[in-house]
Amino acid sequence: MAIPVEMPKMSDTMEEGVLVAWMAEEGESVSAGDVIAQVETDKATMDLEVYDDGVLLKRVIGEGDAVPIGGLIAILGKAGEDVSAIMAKYVGGDGKAVSIASGASAPAEPAPSPVLAEAPAPIASGDGASASVQSEPVAVGRLKASPLAKRIAREHSIDLQTVRGSGPEGRIVRRDVEEVMAKAPEVVVQTPSVASPALAEGGSYESIRISQMRKTISKRLSQSKFTAPHFYLTVDVEMENVITFRKQLNELAQSQDLGKVSFNDFITKSCALALRQHPYVNASYLAEEGEIRLHNVVNVAIAVAVDEGLVTPVIRNADQKGLGQISAETKAYAASARDKSIQPADMEGSTFTTSNLGMFGIEEFTAIINPPNACILAIGAIRETPVVKDGEIVVGKRMKLSLSCDHRVVDGATGAQFLNTVKGYLEDPMNLLL
Amino acid sequence: MAELQLREAIRAAMVEEMQRDENIFLMGEEVAEYNGAYKVSEGMLDMFGPKRVIDTPIAENGFVGLGIGAAMNGLRPIIEFMTFNFSMVAMDQIINNVAKIRYMSGGQFKFPIVLRGPNGAAGQLAATHNTSFESIFSTIPGLKIVSISNPDDAKGLLKSAIRDDDPVLFMESEKMYGMKGEVSDDPDYLIPIGKARVAREGKDVTIIGHNKSYWVAMKAAEMLVSEGFDPEVIDPRTIRPLDLETIIASVKKTNRCVIVDESNPYASVASEIGFLIQREAFDYLDAPVLRVNAKDTPAPYAKNLIEFYMPSAEDTYKACRQVLYAN
Repeated sequence: MAIPVEMPKMSDTMEEGVLVAWMAEEGESVSAGDVIAQVETDKATMDLEVYDDGVLLKRVIGEGDAVPIGGLIAILGKAGEDVSAIMAKYVGGDGKAVSIASGASAPAEPAPSPVLAEAPAPIASGDGASASVQSEPVAVGRLKASPLAKRIAREHSIDLQTVRGSGPEGRIVRRDVEEVMAKAPEVVVQTPSVASPALAEGGSYESIRISQMRKTISKRLSQSKFTAPHFYLTVDVEMENVITFRKQLNELAQSQDLGKVSFNDFITKSCALALRQHPYVNASYLAEEGEIRLHNVVNVAIAVAVDEGLVTPVIRNADQKGLGQISAETKAYAASARDKSIQPADMEGSTFTTSNLGMFGIEEFTAIINPPNACILAIGAIRETPVVKDGEIVVGKRMKLSLSCDHRVVDGATGAQFLNTVKGYLEDPMNLLL
Repeated sequence: MAELQLREAIRAAMVEEMQRDENIFLMGEEVAEYNGAYKVSEGMLDMFGPKRVIDTPIAENGFVGLGIGAAMNGLRPIIEFMTFNFSMVAMDQIINNVAKIRYMSGGQFKFPIVLRGPNGAAGQLAATHNTSFESIFSTIPGLKIVSISNPDDAKGLLKSAIRDDDPVLFMESEKMYGMKGEVSDDPDYLIPIGKARVAREGKDVTIIGHNKSYWVAMKAAEMLVSEGFDPEVIDPRTIRPLDLETIIASVKKTNRCVIVDESNPYASVASEIGFLIQREAFDYLDAPVLRVNAKDTPAPYAKNLIEFYMPSAEDTYKACRQVLYAN
């Protein structure tokens, strides 16, 4: 019975391999363990061994060809054996050899082992099923390794997917891992922590335990930055009107013994009203649920710096609240954040976030989206700058707003329209009262 | 040091201790006038007289009960079972009194009693005289269980058992009574209960065996050595309390373990040791822990069948090669 040789999964991130060079001729007899070709993966060039004895009946792909994992590379068997049946199984619509999943046409033969969802290795159907299991033990079903082999692999940052198991049912045991360590340093997958430059030895330093808050910041923002494709839009906003308006408003507030309204409160309110008009900015991309959720509430979170990090209290239904109420709530949250009395519930349920570094003189910056929001607004300082007005250079008051957008939800035009709406409110703040 | 048979080493331990402490006495079937069914107590009646070396009727439940009463009243009895097969008659006394009186009296009664005799299979004795009982007894909290493999351990451990204020079941073997070995003649030669012996140091596989199984383990080790492997052999010597520390240290070194145990396999001593190894040394195991037990049937009578039934060096050797992935 002819045996297909498929592209093995040689690293955990490998999706396809390029056949660099054939090391055996058609018609040549090969034994289990012989190298028949060299394959370039995303990490290294590796030897392709066969796991069966036989004659190399056909070299299905040429040098330089790329084949996905599970795709047909070669066929082994007895001299003169017909290979057309195997070829037919693997050939896709474009005539290229492709992998095929075992389906209804698979024989009654039981699966060799349960295939886990996270290991979607293609299993060849038909006569090749059992043979393909032998020829590709590392890619089919659950990866079997002794506890010791797993521990050694972990300690030496070796990807077990790249190790061939020599124990019963392909179990990876100590000697297999040690063999990889000894003879093939190039297949050792260096994790970033191993590859990072060595710390200066003997240097003096202070060690600070990573707090839960820093861990949370690390986890959530890494997740955001690494999964949500960010893009950034910046506008420059004329602030003269809002400065004048705020002055009048605060004189009124003062005469009634009310708290002052800050520029940030104007921005919060402007964003809230703009979010109402741009539902895709007030949204969440929920991959696991398979949906984009457009929120019916507008809850604006405001990043507040505290000693050991930052927190993001949420002004709920900010679109329905007046500037005075937004201002009072923001002040109360900032105070409770600083004295650590803020509750987790105060920081949940945001649909949008703003972050303001204007008070530090930062002109503009980009922020990382606060998941599961679709966008975050980074607010810069109000600065005096020369602007051209009616053909004259005059001193203008300007502020830069930078919107970070999750491209899975928000496209460039959507983000730009939102930002223009915000800009419109701030440049003509009377609209905030309508 | 003197070369003694295992039976002589046991006798020496009893004699020395009885000379040292007049509260110690020996009681059992045929221990006095007949000089012991296996001649373990030979000459002891002449030495200590009928008040301290006492023949009993064939009534294990009764004479174990007598021993319990004596121990509760300050004596230190050594009770001999002709074999542990007959201790089954006294199960209620052993499990409900010997193991529990110290606990149920809130510690008011010390319980210095030794129940000793041969345990396990001894050839063509058929099903009812060929059972290993250490796993059955070891499931009961309150019993210390010693099982010896050589004359020197027999003496050192029996003296410790006799001096122990808790009940100790001391398991010997008919097959080994004639075995000779160098034995310490130090009158205070005490081997601590609960301490295993690393009989052969090695780095490739840990083989654990007690009593006769220790010799099976050693023979398998020899076979492996001849093939270039370097096995480590451990004699636990005490089944309970088990010297887990020594076993785990060894398995962490060798990464693989085979347990030889002539108990029937289900819920055997090997089962428990295997469980403890996976719990304590999981990340160090390169292969599943294997065991070599008696077969899971009553012991057969026919010579070829009883030989097949018992754990053999060949089976142990094969199990070792399996965990060594030496195929």
